[in-house]
Amino acid sequence: MNKNVKNIVVLTSVCAVVALLLAVTNYITAPIIAKQQEAAANEALLVVMPGGEDFAAVDLSAYALPATVTEAYSEKNGGYVFKLTTAGYSSGMVIMCGVDASGKVTGATCLSSGETLGYEKTYGDTVVGATADSVDALDTVGGATKTTAAYRGAVKDALNAAIILGGGSVDIRSEEEILADNLTAALPAGDGKFTSVFITEELNDISAIYAADNCAGYVYVSGEHFVGVDKDGNVVSEVSEELRTKVSDAAKIMLASTTEDIDLSAYADMPSQVLSAKKTASGNYVFELRAAGFGINGSAYYNPSGEYIYIRVLATAAGKIIACETVSQKETDGVGSACANADFYTQFNGKEESNYKEIDAISGATVTTNGYKTAISKVFTAVKILEGEA
Amino acid sequence: MDTFKNLIVILMSSVLVNNYVLSRFLGICPFLGVSKKLGQATGMGVSVIFVMLIATLVTWPIQHYVLDPMNLGYMQTIVFILVIAALVQFVEIVLKKFMPALHKSLGVYLPLITTNCAVLGVTINNITDGYNFVESIVSSLGCGLGFLLAMVLFAGVRSRLDESDVPECFKGLPVTLIAASFVSLAFFGFAGVVDNLFA
Amino acid sequence: MQKNSNASVLLRGLLLENPVFVLILGTCPTLATTTTVIGALSMGLAAMAVLICSNAVISLLRKVIPDGVRIPCYIVIIAGFVTMVQMFVQAFLPEIYELLGVYLALITVNCIILGRAEMFASKNTVGKSVLDGVGMGLGFTLALLAMATVREVLGSGSFAGIALPFFSTHTISFFVKAPGGMLVYGVMIAIVTKLTHGKAPKKKSFACAGCPSAAMCNASACETSAVKEDN
Repeated sequence: MNKNVKNIVVLTSVCAVVALLLAVTNYITAPIIAKQQEAAANEALLVVMPGGEDFAAVDLSAYALPATVTEAYSEKNGGYVFKLTTAGYSSGMVIMCGVDASGKVTGATCLSSGETLGYEKTYGDTVVGATADSVDALDTVGGATKTTAAYRGAVKDALNAAIILGGGSVDIRSEEEILADNLTAALPAGDGKFTSVFITEELNDISAIYAADNCAGYVYVSGEHFVGVDKDGNVVSEVSEELRTKVSDAAKIMLASTTEDIDLSAYADMPSQVLSAKKTASGNYVFELRAAGFGINGSAYYNPSGEYIYIRVLATAAGKIIACETVSQKETDGVGSACANADFYTQFNGKEESNYKEIDAISGATVTTNGYKTAISKVFTAVKILEGEA
Repeated sequence: MDTFKNLIVILMSSVLVNNYVLSRFLGICPFLGVSKKLGQATGMGVSVIFVMLIATLVTWPIQHYVLDPMNLGYMQTIVFILVIAALVQFVEIVLKKFMPALHKSLGVYLPLITTNCAVLGVTINNITDGYNFVESIVSSLGCGLGFLLAMVLFAGVRSRLDESDVPECFKGLPVTLIAASFVSLAFFGFAGVVDNLFA
Repeated sequence: MQKNSNASVLLRGLLLENPVFVLILGTCPTLATTTTVIGALSMGLAAMAVLICSNAVISLLRKVIPDGVRIPCYIVIIAGFVTMVQMFVQAFLPEIYELLGVYLALITVNCIILGRAEMFASKNTVGKSVLDGVGMGLGFTLALLAMATVREVLGSGSFAGIALPFFSTHTISFFVKAPGGMLVYGVMIAIVTKLTHGKAPKKKSFACAGCPSAAMCNASACETSAVKEDN
C-alpha cells in the first residue's frame, strides 16, 4: 500500500514539475512564436505593400467585389492587399496586389501561374502606381497580350475592389455583360440576343455591327456609342444628328451593298485555300478560305477530325485586311478551338502582308495557328492575282 | 455525398499513397521487427489498427475540448503519449479479464505499440491536418490498414529473403531494409491513384 | 563487456555502439529527416539536446523514482524536454520547425532516448549519463549526416542546399524518396557491420534490452523473431 502511494506521489510530482517547466517555457516562447507566425503570414503581403502594418483579413461576403478577388486584407493606413485568381492565357494566375489608401497600386506579384511565357513574373512592376482610371492605358506585352491583359484586368479588379471596400461604387460588370447591356439599351426589340455581323464594306467609323437574333434590326457601334437600327435601316436610338447621319449612311451602304461573285476558275494561279471571292461595291474583296489546321495536319495519334477551318476575310484592293472571322472549325476542343474566338481572329484586322505574322499564337495549338496564318497569307496572294499584279 | 467522397479519399490516401510505414517512415521498428512471420505480422497489424482507433477516439476530444479551450496546446505531446500509454494498459487489462481469447492473440503486441511512433504520429497528424472527428477516425483506420497491408506484404517478401544467399555483412537487417525499399518503391505506383479517384 | 571509463562511454556511441547503424534505434527519424543535410543536422542536434537533458535528469532521479512507475516517469520527462525543444525551435528557428514537422514531436518516442534512459541513465551517475548522452547524440547526428550526405548529394545534387557541380545536373531523385532512404540505410548498416566486424557487441543483447517497451512487454513477441533474424 505504502509502495503504491509512493508510486503515485512520485509520478504526480514528476508530471507537475514537467508541466510547470513547460508552462514557463511556453511563457517565454509563446510571444516570439506568435510574432514569427505573424511575420510569416505577412511576408507575402509585405512584398506587394512594403511597410504595411497590422494586416487583417476582410470578410468578403459582406461586399459585392469582382469575382476574381479571392482574399482581401486591410492595412493600418487604409490600404488593402488582394489575392486574385484570373484566367490568363492557359491555366490561370494567382496574383497578389496591394492598393494604398489613395487608390494606387503599391505592388503586384504573381504567386502561381500555368503561363508559359514568363511575362507574368515581371509585369507586376509595370502596374505599380497605376490607379483605377489609368490602369487600362498601360501597355500589354506584345507576344503575350492575353497574359498581360489578364494581369492588368486582375489589377483593375483589385483597384475597383479597394474603391468598393472604401465605400465607393464601381461598375464591376464583365466586358461581356457590359456589351450585352449596351446592345439591349440600343435596341430593346432585339430581346437581348445579338450576334456579331461580318462587315463586308469599309465603313466610316463603324467598328462593329451586331444583328438581333430575332431579326428586329441591328446595332452599329461607333466609338463608344451603340446605335440601334431597325431592319429597314432607320436609326431608332436617340443620338446626335451627326451620329445619326453617320450610322444611317453606313446602314444604307450595308443594305445596298451588292457583291459580284468572281469566277475563280479564270485564275489558274489562285491558291487552293481560296474557296470563293466576291468583289463588293466599294472595290473590296470578300474571301472565303479554308485553313488546314490540326483537323487536317494533326498527328494520327490524336485522330484529327479531317475538317478544315473555314475563314472569311474582307480585304482592300491594296491588300489590307479589314476584317477576319472564323466561320466554322473542328479543331481539338479546348485547344485549337480557340481559333473560333474573336480574341484570336480579330488580331488579323488591319494587318498587311508585311505584319500579319505578328499575332499571339494559340497556346498549345501551333499546328492550328500555323495553318491559319498560311490561309491568311493566301489572301494577299489572291488580292494581287485579282488586281492583276501577280 | 461529397462528405462521403472526401472520407473515401482520406481513407485511400492514408492506406496507399501516404502509407505510414512505406512513405512516411512511421512505425518502422515493429515493421522490421515483427514482420518475420505472417501470423505475427497480422496480429501486430490488427493491434495497431485497434490502438490507433481508440487513441484517436480519445485524443481528438482531448485536444479540442480540453487543451485548446485552456490554451494548453503545448502540452499536446506529453498528454497524448500518456493517454495512449494509459489507454493501452487499460485495454490490455480489460481484454485479459473479459476476452482472454482475444488477449491471447493481440495482448502480447499491445505494450509494444505504446511507444510506436505511428500511433503518436497519427494522433498528432489528425490534429495538424485539421480533420474533424469523423475524418480523424477514418484517417486512423486508413493508417492502421496501411500498416497492416505493409506488414502482411512484407512478411511474404521476407519469407523468400530467408532462403536467399546474401553477402555476410548484408545478412539480417541490411538486406531486409533493401527489400523494404523495393516494397516501398512498389507503393509509389499508387501516387496518382487517389487524385483521380473521382475524376 | 563494456568498460565504463569516461572516454569509452563517450566514444563508443560514435561507431561501436552507434545507435543508428549498430543498435538500430531510432529508425523513423533516420529515414524521414535525412533527405537534406540541414534537416538531418537539426534533427540530430535536437535529439542530442533531449538525450543529454533526459539522461541527466533521469540519472539524477534514479534513486527517487520507484521501479513500478519508472517507464511512465521517463516518458513524461522525455516528452517534457521534447516539447521544450519544440517550442524553442519554433520560436527561434521557424524554418527548421517547418522542415522537421511532426518528426520533432516524435523524438518523444524515439527509441534511442527511452532506450538510453532505461539501459544506461537509470544505472549510472549523472556525469556518465551526460557523457553517454553526448556520445550517443553525436553518434546519432553523425549517422544522420552520413545518410543525408549520400541522399542529398545523389538525390538533389546539393550539399546543405548548396548546389554541387555535376551532381546538380545529374540528380537521381530516387534517393530523396522513401525507397531511396531505406536502400541507403540498408547499405550503410552493411558497411558499418563490415567495418566493425567482430568488434561490435552482439546485437542479441540489444534485441529486447534495447527496446524501450521491454519493461512492459512480458511476452517476448519480438525477441523470438528479431533475435533469430539477427543471428
